[in-house]
Amino acid sequence: MAVSKVQYPISVEGFTYSYPSKPYVLRDISFKVERGEAVGIIGPNGAGKSTLCRALNGLVPHFYGGRMSGRIYVAGMDTLKHTVAELSTKVGLVFQEPETQLSGLALTVEDEISFGLSMLGYPKEVILDRTREAIEKVGLKGLEHRSPFELSGGQQQRLAIATVLAMKPEVIVLDEPAAQLDPLGKSQVFDVLRELLREGSTILVAEHEIEELATFTHRLILLDGGRILCDGSSRHVLRQVERLKSSGVDPPSVTELAHLVKTVCRMRLEDYPITVEEAVGLFAELLEGGRI
Amino acid sequence: MTESKPETSGEVEVVPTGAKILAVVMIPTIAALNYVGGVIVELLKAPIWGDTWATMLGTLISGFWVGSIGGFLYNIIMAFTLWGLPNWVWGFANVVIAGITVICVKMGWADLRKPVKLIPAFLLFGLVYPIFTTAVSIGLFGGGPLWKPLPAAVYAATLSSTGNFYLANYVQAISTEIPDKIISFVISLAIASRVPRRLVLLKR
Amino acid sequence: MLAFVGRVARQVGLPLLVVVLPWMALSVPILSLPLGFPWNQTVVYRIQMLGLDIPVYLEGLAWGFTWPLRIGVTISAALLFYLTTQQTALVAMLFKFRMPFRFIYMVAATLQMIPLMVDEVRSIYQAQLARGLRTDVGIIKKLWNFLTLVVPLTLSSLGKVQTRAIALESRGFSAPVAKTVLYDIRFKRVDYVFFACMAAATVYLGFLYVTEGYSPIVHLRYLLLG
Repeated sequence: MAVSKVQYPISVEGFTYSYPSKPYVLRDISFKVERGEAVGIIGPNGAGKSTLCRALNGLVPHFYGGRMSGRIYVAGMDTLKHTVAELSTKVGLVFQEPETQLSGLALTVEDEISFGLSMLGYPKEVILDRTREAIEKVGLKGLEHRSPFELSGGQQQRLAIATVLAMKPEVIVLDEPAAQLDPLGKSQVFDVLRELLREGSTILVAEHEIEELATFTHRLILLDGGRILCDGSSRHVLRQVERLKSSGVDPPSVTELAHLVKTVCRMRLEDYPITVEEAVGLFAELLEGGRI
Repeated sequence: MTESKPETSGEVEVVPTGAKILAVVMIPTIAALNYVGGVIVELLKAPIWGDTWATMLGTLISGFWVGSIGGFLYNIIMAFTLWGLPNWVWGFANVVIAGITVICVKMGWADLRKPVKLIPAFLLFGLVYPIFTTAVSIGLFGGGPLWKPLPAAVYAATLSSTGNFYLANYVQAISTEIPDKIISFVISLAIASRVPRRLVLLKR
Repeated sequence: MLAFVGRVARQVGLPLLVVVLPWMALSVPILSLPLGFPWNQTVVYRIQMLGLDIPVYLEGLAWGFTWPLRIGVTISAALLFYLTTQQTALVAMLFKFRMPFRFIYMVAATLQMIPLMVDEVRSIYQAQLARGLRTDVGIIKKLWNFLTLVVPLTLSSLGKVQTRAIALESRGFSAPVAKTVLYDIRFKRVDYVFFACMAAATVYLGFLYVTEGYSPIVHLRYLLLG
């Protein structure tokens, strides 16, 4: 039984949770994440995305307290029985606010990345090695000795990813990492995520805007009112345009366009595109066939 | 690791551990806000100190310890950076302020909607607290006029009319502390009432 | 002298001048003129002005200079410390003294937060100046100005407290292990010699302070007047 759980980086089993001041933020959540999988959590504001992210590294319930039932296993570890510090090498959590998640102790980018490992008392050599590695992975080379507060939002967010990478976690969880960034910063962050995915990392991203998310996640989970409404391949979830919209989530505009073309123009479409590239292919085909 | 018994799906009540670490972040915030208060006062050339209001705020939001440690830390840092080492003693002034704030809260003298009940709080801050500052200022630094013109004038006036050195220092202290503490206390009460609920979690 | 060695004489000197000189300008007349300073005994000079005969007291004069100077010395020592010490070295030192890590964090975080907040205040202030904030106004208006600066700043920084706390927590801040500090400080021979000299100087000055008395005023009379 224990062995089967170790196989999954994340395994959530019937998780229900209430904050001390807010009841049932999550209800009966169950899902498993495979190694190397990229999962997007989508849903409107207040759907419980952040709470779910925080449940994965034990902040929920340890930091906040509250009532819970069900279990979450991260790399086989029960989050209820392990402290957030113990889980910090298994789950790396990146927050929404670029500046606020900086430690406030580190003077340079390098210090900031090594902060987590220092907290866990790793030997100095290991820390320096891993720090160097993480800096390269997120493309912050050359900025090692800058103050973290001098960086742009996009750079700060990549720094936050690097701080997490240095801990070599099994899963990287990002809570709306691009919500407060400018377009350039957004694309930088998603580029780093794509690269990490290519190297085999397991990634879970909660995001309000789906456009970018759709281009690299394998699977999407639609969360609304603390429940999972829909869980499936990205394509499967995104083609349910009406359902997404009724939950207050905007599907990618190309998908929505195709949906409108189908429903308004009563055109027969086998499948909706979910990225711009796919849309170009589809509409080129339609135009050539003279159907539009 | 021992395998746990098969989990029942019953609810578990979890005790929060966040308060401690919230305090660790709250304290430097309080210290920095004290500093910034002082800077703003200088910027606007207002005749008050403005650097203890965050101590009160911290006490109102997160309790005696966070408030007094935050204020104390501010004074230690100021002593090391700007004021000079012996001035770390003023850290105790913040402990006194945090203490007075707690008394006011306990006695119900800390409600902006009941202005009459604020009067004893003002008396504590305005008249009792300066006894402490005067004692420190004479006992440790020898006493003398402050470098802000207004209190220095008060000092000179008292000294010339009564000839009492101690009284002059006390009256000088009162003349700055009364407006300073009253204003600071009102501001911190106003802000404390608008602070997000989740931070009040510390207060237990 | 040390300030010159540290090449920070300018930074130390300027604030000193700004604080100490006006302070003296206030304290010297207040204390040396017959306004009731208790130690005043010796008249050194008499100002003849508008037909009045105003005595100037030696004790008040001296204390008027020494009181700001005394504060000035402590200020300059602190500025020296501040301008010549790197924060990393400070953290490493506190760590070496086996301070609890929470305390080290609080000190370092305050030092980091202050410039950020001051920047924030400055930008809010500039924005308000641009929108017509006036500083040459009455006291009530000044207080109102104080509020409009402080309230947004406070609410935003308090709002950040929880996020920072959970971010720290998820990076293992409360892990019950000995933390690693990357910067090492080792005391070199120069440092020991310096410490020894400073200790000697402190002892000597302390000796003078105890034998010669609390304030130089008491002795000035003997020195000057025999």
